Amino acid sequence: MVFNKKFMTGVAFAAMMTGLAACSGGEEATTEGEGGGEKITIFQTKVEISDQLEAAAETYTEETGVEVEVIGTTGDDYLQQLQIRLNNGTGPSIMSVQNSTVAESLKSYVYDLSDEEFVSNIAPNMALELDEKVVGIPYGVEGFGLVYNKDLVNPEDIKDYESFNSTLEKFKSEDINGLGLSSEAYFLIGHISNYPFSLQEDPEAFMDGLTSGDVTMAETEEFLKFGEFMESIRANTTSPLGVTYDQQVGDFAAGKTAMIHQGNWASSLLADFEVDFEIGMAPFPLEGNDKQAVGVGANWAVNSEKEPEEIEAAVDFLDWLHTSETGKKIIVEEFGFIPAMTNIEANDLDPLSQAVFEASNSGETIAWSHNYFPANLVPNDFAPATEEFFANEDITGDEFIANLDAAWQNAVK
Amino acid sequence: MANKKNISWYLLFTLPLLIIFTIIVVIPFLIGIYYAFFEWDGIGANPKVFVGMDNFLALFTDERFMKSTWLTVLFTVLSVLTVNIVGLAFALLVTSKLKLANLARTMFFMPYLIGGLILGYIWQFVFLDVFTFIGEVTGLENIFFNWLVNENFALFALIFVFTWQMAGYVMIVYIAGIQGVPGELIEASKVDGASPWQRLTRITFPLLMPAFTISLFLTLSYGFKIYDVNLSLTGGGPANATELFAMNIYNEIFGYGNYGYGQAKAILFFVIISAVTLTQVYLTKKREVEM
Repeated sequence: MVFNKKFMTGVAFAAMMTGLAACSGGEEATTEGEGGGEKITIFQTKVEISDQLEAAAETYTEETGVEVEVIGTTGDDYLQQLQIRLNNGTGPSIMSVQNSTVAESLKSYVYDLSDEEFVSNIAPNMALELDEKVVGIPYGVEGFGLVYNKDLVNPEDIKDYESFNSTLEKFKSEDINGLGLSSEAYFLIGHISNYPFSLQEDPEAFMDGLTSGDVTMAETEEFLKFGEFMESIRANTTSPLGVTYDQQVGDFAAGKTAMIHQGNWASSLLADFEVDFEIGMAPFPLEGNDKQAVGVGANWAVNSEKEPEEIEAAVDFLDWLHTSETGKKIIVEEFGFIPAMTNIEANDLDPLSQAVFEASNSGETIAWSHNYFPANLVPNDFAPATEEFFANEDITGDEFIANLDAAWQNAVK
Repeated sequence: MANKKNISWYLLFTLPLLIIFTIIVVIPFLIGIYYAFFEWDGIGANPKVFVGMDNFLALFTDERFMKSTWLTVLFTVLSVLTVNIVGLAFALLVTSKLKLANLARTMFFMPYLIGGLILGYIWQFVFLDVFTFIGEVTGLENIFFNWLVNENFALFALIFVFTWQMAGYVMIVYIAGIQGVPGELIEASKVDGASPWQRLTRITFPLLMPAFTISLFLTLSYGFKIYDVNLSLTGGGPANATELFAMNIYNEIFGYGNYGYGQAKAILFFVIISAVTLTQVYLTKKREVEM
């Protein structure tokens, strides 16, 4: 019996030791792989380019022998996932950083790219900078506005509030949804809420004022007008709350919706639906605005916490993507980006991207204010306030704007 | 001696589990308590500032958290009731002399086998398309509309789906209990002239107390902790009208980046769940009868 007991304990220990040994063995193997600079990982926010990016990674591996692993993303919770990965040590070598607010919170992780040669090709004012250092390479420029069906809408009819409102009313009487929004936070309010901010003389200063309490949206003309637009949208169109992005674009492609508030990224989905009419993009006519909202949606950044060899390999990959013929082709043709690099030419753009590209080149644009919003303001605070506005007909446009003020205060407290 | 041998066997089988449990539950739990005393945004390289009890004190003035607490309590109470009533009814039905009892048993249990996330998406579709369709056809648009976009109905939609998912599971527990009721007791009561209702309330229910204990415990703790169905069905919306405890904590930590404060919420959450479920187990245990 004593023998038995010892035997059993022995077995238990042996089992444990095997387990431990296996674990440590595994760890060593991975560290070696990462430290050797022969493998880089990419984690990025744009779901639309996931497949294309994996293909690009394979091409790169074929050309250079450096292994590139692309970690899948779900889009919406990218930032949370990134944070988890950075904390538990499985952070990627290349990540995307949406804007300067995010870069600020991740400042201990973003690698200074200022000295890299290809960085000088970034179009003026498009680089993501933090404390005068370039930390992000723009994916490309993007733009959003009123994407309309040319068979149904004449852009002359959406030039100001009165014409916009009467157009929506006309569509309502014809049983066509005049303007489609969708329930995802950025498509519900995030993008469309840009206009009153961007029409301020100095949007960033205005936002600082909001934070400090010196100004409120409720006292600002553009926001009150924006409230009226939202009232008109609520009164004349289908509630966006039960609508997903796919449905929103699908209904538009099927001709059930005359306009959607979307960006050039929707073209790939529209192409899938095989749209048989011409589409155009018009500016959102808040206070007679006639400029497209153009900006940078996301930037490539390199994780500075990695081993020097891996950082170098990551920078090499970005260099390849933005300077080699293969890489440039991938950006324009595969990713479908409108390049924000002066050394990349854009040909054969889809109509929406063409509209954005032209606006961007002519300089007839307004900035993307939401890049300067407090972190996560849109999903955390703006979206619930907007859901309330759409769910409850008793809330007036002015009250809605006051709720947005409260939402802003909640986000910065 | 035989006893010692048994201990070795116990060790062999429990140690691996114990190690796993320690690594993925106990240690993170302790670290979580530690973080609750700091103000920190959850990004490893950024500073942690010790704030003592401030995070816990702030909880009591946090309106959104209070609202979420109330919603969670409401959700849990209502769904414990519906899940157990429906589950018990199912169990009584399939243990009766019904021809399709076995088929029904499988069908009732089926929803539990579908993951909560998928379930949420399925029901999102049901509420969006099927409900509005029924509303249009029958003209009962006041009852059949998309519940998920209405602040007052979204929580009930959540309870509905949770009941649909869990009722089959507690049914199994109740079936086991009902089958454990000795036939001779039922027979004796029949001889004594007890009506079916009396048999149910005076014989079956008291003997079912152990099943009640475990079913109530399971539904209470599942109800408090629900996250997956909440996430996929309503996502906390509209306008935070269905943001339950677990989601509120997740949003605090990952949405607003208040890691320490979120942890403080999580600790309080743990205390509340333990207090409620332990009280419930104590109360129902007292009512269990020994045969």
